[in-house]
Amino acid sequence: MAEIKLRDVHKSFGKVEVIKGVNIEIKDGEFVVIVGPSGCGKSTLLRMIAGLEDITQGTLEIDGVCMNDRQPKDRGIAMVFQTYAIFPHMTVRENVAFGLTINKIDKATRDLKVDEAARILQMENLLDRRPSELSGGQRQRVAIGRAIVRNPKVFLFDEPLSNLDASLRMDMRMEIGKLHQSLNASMIYVTHDQVEAMTLADKIVVLNDGKVMQSGSPMELYKEPANMFVASFLGAPSMNFINVEVHDINEENVTVYNPTLSPIKVPHKGRDISKKSQAILGLRPQYLRLVEPSDGILNGKVILTERLGAETIVEILLKDGKRVIAAISEDQILSNGKEIGLQFNPKQVHLFSSEDSKFLSENRK
Amino acid sequence: MISPGFGLIVFFIILPFLSAIILSFTNQRLISPNPTEYVGLANYKQLLSVGVLTLDPKRNSNGAVVRDKNGALKYPRLRNFTRNNPQYPHIKGMRELFSWNVGDNQRTYILARDVVFIKAVINTLLFVLIVAPGQGGLALCLALLINQKLRGINIYRAIYFMPVVVSIVVVSLLWRFIYDYESGLLNNLLSSLTFGAFESVNWIGDTDFALGSIIVMSIWQAVGFHMVIWLSGLQTIPPSLYEAARIEGASKWQTFRYVTWPGLRNTAVLVFVVITMQAFALFTQIDVMTNGGPLDSTQSIVFQAVERGYGKQDISGGSAISVLLFVMVLCISLLQRWLTQGRS
Amino acid sequence: MSMPNNPDNYGLRLVTRYVVLTVIAIIFAFPLVFMIMSSLKPDQQLLADTSSLKAFLPVGDISFQNYENAFSRVPVGLFVFNSMLVTSVTVVLSLFVCSLSGFSFAYLKWRGRDLLFSIILATFIIPFETIAIPMLLITSKLPWIGLDGFSIGWLNTYRVQIVPFIADGLTIFLFVQYFKDLPVELIEAARVEGTTWWQIYRLIVIPLSGPVLATAAILKFLVMYNQYLWPMIVVQQEEYRPVMVGLQYFFQTFTKGGIAWGEIMAYLSMITVPVLAFYLYIQRAFIASVAATGVKG
Ligand SMILES: Nc1ncnc2c1ncn2[C@@H]1O[C@H](COP(=O)(O)OP(=O)(O)OP(=O)(O)O)[C@@H](O)[C@H]1O
Ligand SMILES: [Mg+2]
Repeated sequence: MAEIKLRDVHKSFGKVEVIKGVNIEIKDGEFVVIVGPSGCGKSTLLRMIAGLEDITQGTLEIDGVCMNDRQPKDRGIAMVFQTYAIFPHMTVRENVAFGLTINKIDKATRDLKVDEAARILQMENLLDRRPSELSGGQRQRVAIGRAIVRNPKVFLFDEPLSNLDASLRMDMRMEIGKLHQSLNASMIYVTHDQVEAMTLADKIVVLNDGKVMQSGSPMELYKEPANMFVASFLGAPSMNFINVEVHDINEENVTVYNPTLSPIKVPHKGRDISKKSQAILGLRPQYLRLVEPSDGILNGKVILTERLGAETIVEILLKDGKRVIAAISEDQILSNGKEIGLQFNPKQVHLFSSEDSKFLSENRK
Repeated sequence: MISPGFGLIVFFIILPFLSAIILSFTNQRLISPNPTEYVGLANYKQLLSVGVLTLDPKRNSNGAVVRDKNGALKYPRLRNFTRNNPQYPHIKGMRELFSWNVGDNQRTYILARDVVFIKAVINTLLFVLIVAPGQGGLALCLALLINQKLRGINIYRAIYFMPVVVSIVVVSLLWRFIYDYESGLLNNLLSSLTFGAFESVNWIGDTDFALGSIIVMSIWQAVGFHMVIWLSGLQTIPPSLYEAARIEGASKWQTFRYVTWPGLRNTAVLVFVVITMQAFALFTQIDVMTNGGPLDSTQSIVFQAVERGYGKQDISGGSAISVLLFVMVLCISLLQRWLTQGRS
Repeated sequence: MSMPNNPDNYGLRLVTRYVVLTVIAIIFAFPLVFMIMSSLKPDQQLLADTSSLKAFLPVGDISFQNYENAFSRVPVGLFVFNSMLVTSVTVVLSLFVCSLSGFSFAYLKWRGRDLLFSIILATFIIPFETIAIPMLLITSKLPWIGLDGFSIGWLNTYRVQIVPFIADGLTIFLFVQYFKDLPVELIEAARVEGTTWWQIYRLIVIPLSGPVLATAAILKFLVMYNQYLWPMIVVQQEEYRPVMVGLQYFFQTFTKGGIAWGEIMAYLSMITVPVLAFYLYIQRAFIASVAATGVKG
């Protein structure tokens, strides 16, 4: 169990700065998921916590002790790699026991711990196999088993499921969730799969280009994204953005419109905003409803429908040439070219400044 | 962890090499009563000095050119110019390397102070220029041939590789017998197979054939090694690429040109670098088979370095040759690197 | 393309391929067959046979007389022992030292690493023969502390044939290449588990390095077993001479005329055939490992 603090952490490879001042606090037993697009520095951040990369600037504390110059083994961490990294020349048992063997734990204790881990991960029958005789999911179990037996204070996962197929990934995701509950250790989990992030995390940290965009509970981030990046990153399909002009402002509401959008009142809280200024309206596809063209706040015609069974994804071409995606929570058949209207609750939209793409409005909870 | 390895390399490769550089600026001999002295670039000047001299034919008192009994023109003796002739100080002590006729009657002579060394350089370059493409290309052909799925192909591959396992000393001695003028296998076999029509060739005793014979033998000995390297390159090319080419209807040559060869780029660089290095180090074949003869037609740079440094105990001269060789190889590898980088 | 749509044509093609392969095989094999056959024949018959295909057949007056003669001219047993001793000790030490250096270059970060590696690569292009003489000067003055006390000068010893060849750029390079291709996560996973670098080397890297160890051993073996110039100049005492230097004993017959080819062929066969036989026995693994350590792509 441990608390982890990253203070203004930077990392440069030569002249290229990859991590540009990151602050994260992780509470004891918390499950933190770091998400972000490919190349944004997630792995680098994790590897700095593990001690596999030097920290160029800033400090890393685990339980109040500065860890910058500690060897990986002295940080009380265990890491699970995307490619499993299990040793091909050792049996599963030897792999799982590796850290214990290295640290000269006696054989009886070793076997006890390995058996315990095997029981938790349901792989008792695999212990005497070689890695080449295992499936992808089984290998990942071995890697996790190797992490468990050492009783680390912190578990680090770097995209542990990305090499697995969809159904296996779901199983393993649930198992990792259960593992967290039973071990109650702090976990840091890197992924670019937002479903993993939403389901597993106590706290999500959204990283982009080496900077933290926002951190908070999954629902906080989903409902109150701090900026357009976070808004578009979480939620599938991605949030729709529409350019609008501010028409009127009062204590409670901002009225915005554009040529294809009749004026609507959006709840206003927080930042200053002036009349006639430009803003961006964010609409989640799930909050859009299809109505008759006469009832629509937005009007357009259907250009694509994807029927997923429980959900239907509809792409609509607006009058001004913009495209909007709607996700309808039932199966619907719509012919292409059909004129259609879109309705939504103005209280469920997000408003962003078009200057710095930051959040302007706030949802009513 | 590096220290034992690097220490040994420093001690047994770099240190000897540095001492070769230093020695090349002195007049050190293996065993010498005189103290060693610094002589600057003298050794290099001695090795590298070349000169050009153009002579008019000899004329008799009437001003007509003189011809010998075969009708060839007669020229003044070179010695008159290279020995104690105050008008030609720059070619003092030089000897003829080769010469040819220019214009009407004039003859140009290329002179060198150290004719043997210059010949060694020319022979070595010739050797490299023939062996590098010849052996590399042949090895590729063999690799393509052996890379088919046929029953028993492994046996053929093993046979092609066999000479690599045999010491070059053994190979040289064996081929010395095969090439022998009177009792050699090659001459006797060829003449009996052609019912005497084949005229015996003095393979390693004739200036026209000696270097060529050594080249053939050297390729025979080492080509299997490079075949295996090409083979490993070939096997890294994914079969799906060949299948794609087949679906597109590419001919055999097109498949090679657009699929195989691009996939072999790294291998090609490795093969040619290794062959070039080995070719520049030509020594054992010469030492065992010809000692540089006949008439210096098989002298090589490394053979000269050893012969002077060890045989004639002229350590400084041998060292200077070593340094020159290093500089040449370095230039070529830098050039090679520049060429391969420039293209990618 | 090569579908056997016409069976005759296909059969013919197949035959052509085998003919081509066989002709080339003959070119590679005939000198060695000739060597072995000649070693079994008395000189007179040997020379007569060269003008017919009998040269490649064990026919006529076959005996081991040449071998007996070679044994009486050269202490074959001693030389083979010396070669085996020098070769095996060098191979073992070289694998250890070079793999350790390669490990350091591939995985550890330290100041000046890249510079040092470039220097080691540059030593590739120095042919051994060109530094043999300075090396002779150096080794002749080196001190040594052995069981029999302190001494100066390494000439006429085993160590002068071993120590200079333990580390070389090519072997280190082979190891570095191979190590860099091992998945880096394996090393990192081990580090996270708390291994020392020495444990990573011993428990993770070396067990996974079969092919490169084999290749390095093979290449080193060939270099060491075939040593010629160096022992010739540093070993004057018969006691320490290796097999290739034994050939010198036959060169004397060259100058005296009447070259004893049969005897020479017998000696060549003796020092070559065991290596060849061993090679043919393991050839599949041998070529595979050389190929595996070659280049990727
Ligand atoms: N050793 C290195 N040397 C130089 N640049 C590096 C190194 N490692 C990573 N980078 C760079 O740092 C950036 C971040 O890399 P990182 O691996 O952390 O990305 P990531 O967020 O994990 O991406 P992905 O989701 O694709 O795994 C990338 O632009 C990468 O090119
Ligand atoms: Mg990553």
